[in-house]
Amino acid sequence: MPLRTDTSKGLALGAPATLYVGLLVVAPLGMLVAYSFWTQTYVAIDHSLTWENYRSAIGDPLVRHLLFRSVWIAALVTLMTVLLAYPIAYFIAFRTERKALWLLLITIPFWTSYLLRVFAWKLILGFNGLLNSGLQGLGLIHEPMTWLLYNEFAVVLTLAHAWAPFAILPIYVSLQKIDRRLLEAATDLGSGKLERFFRVTLPLTIPGIISSSLIIFIPTVGDYVTPALVGGADGKMIANLIQVQFGPANDWPLGATLSLLAMVTVGIVAVGYVLLLRFLGSRIR
Amino acid sequence: MNTCTTLRGAAAAAALLAGPALAAGDELTVFDWSGYEDPGFFGSYVEKHGSAPSYTFFGSQDEAFTKLQSGFEADLAHPCTDATRKWAAAGLIQPIDTDKIENWDAILPAIRDVDGVTFDGETWMVPFDWGNTGLIYRTDKVDESEISLQALADPANAGKVALPDGAPSAYAMAALATGSAEDYTHMSDAQFQKASDFLRKVHPNVRFYWSDPGQLDQALASGEVAMGWAWNQTELNLIWNDTPARMMRGEDKGIATWVCGYVHLKGSTASDAQVYDMLNALTDAASGKYIIESWGYGHANGDAFEAADPELVKTYGFSDAEDFFEGTLFFDAVEPELEARMLQEYERIKAGF
Repeated sequence: MPLRTDTSKGLALGAPATLYVGLLVVAPLGMLVAYSFWTQTYVAIDHSLTWENYRSAIGDPLVRHLLFRSVWIAALVTLMTVLLAYPIAYFIAFRTERKALWLLLITIPFWTSYLLRVFAWKLILGFNGLLNSGLQGLGLIHEPMTWLLYNEFAVVLTLAHAWAPFAILPIYVSLQKIDRRLLEAATDLGSGKLERFFRVTLPLTIPGIISSSLIIFIPTVGDYVTPALVGGADGKMIANLIQVQFGPANDWPLGATLSLLAMVTVGIVAVGYVLLLRFLGSRIR
Repeated sequence: MNTCTTLRGAAAAAALLAGPALAAGDELTVFDWSGYEDPGFFGSYVEKHGSAPSYTFFGSQDEAFTKLQSGFEADLAHPCTDATRKWAAAGLIQPIDTDKIENWDAILPAIRDVDGVTFDGETWMVPFDWGNTGLIYRTDKVDESEISLQALADPANAGKVALPDGAPSAYAMAALATGSAEDYTHMSDAQFQKASDFLRKVHPNVRFYWSDPGQLDQALASGEVAMGWAWNQTELNLIWNDTPARMMRGEDKGIATWVCGYVHLKGSTASDAQVYDMLNALTDAASGKYIIESWGYGHANGDAFEAADPELVKTYGFSDAEDFFEGTLFFDAVEPELEARMLQEYERIKAGF
């Protein structure tokens, strides 16, 4: 009975992961959904089901504004990171023999904690930070530039730096997988370098671009610590409002609703993005 | 540091001498702000129990509340008076037996009478430390004659202002600025609107809303901002850093006072005797002398000010402790409904809405 053995083997292999995901992802998510239909009454929770949280959250211009800004910042970060990552990945895949060394170098930012990297940017962009004091020392500016920190720009810059390796690796893998004979064939058939890139290389790496975009976009929409530290008032994102609900405001149901709204928004944008890229990719051929 | 070392030495010696009759000191767990594990605060407890209590830390009262409500257990915790009503309502704390607090009568009356210490016929907190929250400004950038809470909204100070990220503190400031300090905990709609309007007027001038005092200290020291609404700790840090800055004082200028203390948690498993030994050690005049001299904070025990070095008492502005509280706004528990409105409205104001 080979089938039975295969099935049971498969079940046995999948069980630990299923259990793990079930306990640590599905159960908390279920709790989140349940909370979003309850109501906070001072220090207790009213368990009667209501849409009120959704109604007030969706009707709130602040929530819509922050959701929109979160998506906008994450989109900018994704665009910047992927654009900057592609040439690096291309270089490693096609132009160097020392691939392992380069890949190792790229992971170096990950050797320090995420929080430290955010703080490092604060030190660089700060009022008397590295950049301002350096430029002042050179006599290029007389007053410290205040537009460097506490705004959207600082958030985008910090996130793009922190997430760069996540973009490089998937794109590198998809470039590496390209059958070199296809490129030779394109050349033989009379394609120039640029045409060869846009008609062969780029379409074949679309899966890599999609996966690195999603890997960056999804977590950055919900990033909390970067906007909290370098965002100031103009760089706040939806996660900061969610934290307020779970912390100072002590309104877990509303916090759960906002979290779910953020997840739905991310889901819609991500699916739309994948469909769009697939469509564009198919048009190139 | 010397005091610390001496105390640790004493603790070690006491640990050797103390017999098995007494429970080990570290069986008591204190849920506290980081830094309060300083052995100078509870010398007599260490002498009696052989070692310091165990400490677990929180970063904000809200975080502490959330953690306790989710089932975290400790014996004592260290919130401030504005939180005790909420903690009691959530059933997290048990009443204090003031007969067992040796120094209860020595506690400054103004501190003992703060709302949030005693309410609903029970005492819920043993006050421990207190200090001011006020407008700290750079004396070299803002003239003393011109400083006022209204200056925060002056367009001339664009980008030179830091406000706290937390709503209750910001609204206390706004209440002082708009003349409703007396009604801070139960503002009428009109008063609330006036206070919110004031905060909206200040918003364009705000460089950042601080949540980490270190961020504010550095910004004031570097001149990034010229004024900020902050705790007395910031003023002390700037004094110690030789930065020309001070807190705006004077009865009609607008200043607030915070009072924090220890509460007996319901989930406490340590014996009452041990809990009260700790509470007595914390309210001891010797502990008070230490916190005044080494930290520059006010202590609940009035005798501590006489025991402390008069020079330092003067430097830190505690010469007349009673005078200190004249015309100040105490951070009392804001009515829950109003507090919720403050929080939601302040998020809007901070986002520019």
